[in-house]
Amino acid sequence: MFSFQTIIDNLPVLAASARYTLLISGAGCFLGLIFGALICVAAVSRASAARAFAGVYVSFFRGVPLLIQLLLAFYLLPLVGVNVPALAAAIFTVGLCAAAYISEILRGALNAIPRGQAEAAMAVGLAPRDIWTRILLPQALKISMPALVNELILLVKASSLVTVVGIVEITRMSQAIASATYRPLEIYLTAAFLYLAINLVIAALGRNLERRLAW
Amino acid sequence: MTLAPSLTGTVNPASARLENVCKFYGEFQALKDISLVIPPGKVTCLIGPSGSGKSTLLRCINFLEEYDRGGIWIDDRLIGYETVGGRRMGGRALREMRRDIGMVFQQFNLWPHMTALQNVAEGLERVKGIPRARAHEIASEALAKVGLGDKTGNHPSRLSGGQQQRVAIARAVAMQPRIMLFDEPTSALDPELVGEVLGVMKQLAAEGMTMVVVTHEMGFAAHVADRVVFMERGELVAQGSPAEIFQNPGDRRLAAFLQGYLERNSLEL
Ligand SMILES: Nc1ncnc2c1ncn2[C@@H]1O[C@H](COP(=O)(O)OP(=O)(O)OP(=O)(O)O)[C@@H](O)[C@H]1O
Ligand SMILES: [Mg+2]
Repeated sequence: MFSFQTIIDNLPVLAASARYTLLISGAGCFLGLIFGALICVAAVSRASAARAFAGVYVSFFRGVPLLIQLLLAFYLLPLVGVNVPALAAAIFTVGLCAAAYISEILRGALNAIPRGQAEAAMAVGLAPRDIWTRILLPQALKISMPALVNELILLVKASSLVTVVGIVEITRMSQAIASATYRPLEIYLTAAFLYLAINLVIAALGRNLERRLAW
Repeated sequence: MTLAPSLTGTVNPASARLENVCKFYGEFQALKDISLVIPPGKVTCLIGPSGSGKSTLLRCINFLEEYDRGGIWIDDRLIGYETVGGRRMGGRALREMRRDIGMVFQQFNLWPHMTALQNVAEGLERVKGIPRARAHEIASEALAKVGLGDKTGNHPSRLSGGQQQRVAIARAVAMQPRIMLFDEPTSALDPELVGEVLGVMKQLAAEGMTMVVVTHEMGFAAHVADRVVFMERGELVAQGSPAEIFQNPGDRRLAAFLQGYLERNSLEL
């Protein structure tokens, strides 16, 4: 028999585990934006070494499953003498991976910005750094807002992979509770509802932000 | 539209000198050995058919377009290269030279995510290092001088074409350039908005700004220019005073171009 009581009893614990889901996807996305912007600048740079680096970076982080990347980070970092908590390593890895996708999203958006935007900035005498941070990236961010929101939603779902390095977020927690209570259906439904709620909120916030960025 | 007495304050106009400038796009030669003197404090208009290289030439003057041979001097300083035929100039030195050169584009190229005020203040803050509050003061004065004192808070999407182009002129003029480049500044405008932009340009000219203007407005060239330069197929074909060019076009290609212009414009009536 379906047990609503199970859901009510376990919702608080599951919801508490959502903070890891949120932290890993949120902080991962934030890092991804920063690294992604840098990779994107490298990808369109005049310097062939920078372009080559960006190419290899994007190929690697897009071409290798996030799961393997997390395991690599988990086992590789201690070997090279870096001892960071699993959570930090996970956030960092998710950020690096997201950066590969975000750099491509931004690069696409840059192509949609008329050449004259940068030319006007050069004519005024702005330095390259200001042209990027003040003129090009703000416009690229706006243009790519729908794609970035999409990316964040993908990250929320992909964050379940960090269970492999021992972090107990929504998915891992629901597995644990399901096997302890013998109520998998109720528990996984609750987990599904939590993910859905998070992503609906993100989508709504994204639309709101898009509207406010309409200039 | 009422204009304040002076757009620029005091200008110390620069001259420009082009010697044997060549520009290639792959095999195609867009500029063929152009030599030209832009006198200080005067208006030089560049005219010629589409594709003749007017924009390319104008953009070489602030090195937005890299010329391949010859030299371009602003006053006595070579732009873009350390010596003629030598190494590329460093970014910092180039930016320093560009501070003296204002540019206005056919498509305005205002930054859409900034208000009119921010568009004008950006260069003052980031290039000249003027503190924000003061930069905003200067920017709002500059906008008032082009008749847009009440539009400082508008984003470009909330301005007409003529207003956008006046913001673009204010953005360039606020940097106190010593020479201004205009690439068909009124070509993207509805006919009824052309006058307000030409008005601001005439005032700049009257204040003694050195101006190089690529234009299809033969009326402006005839009445405001001190020098008119006719280009065709990447060559400088003829140059002279407006009277020499328009009333007495000796060159056959120039005469044909002017004839064509007259016919097109009477047909449009
Ligand atoms: N980036 C480029 N790559 C290749 N060819 C180019 C490029 N820019 C310009 N050209 C060519 O150089 C020639 C001169 O172009 P330019 O834009 O200077 O002409 P223009 O006189 O300004 O014409 P218009 O009146 O139409 O603006 C044209 O034949 C054009 O096709
Ligand atoms: Mg042109």
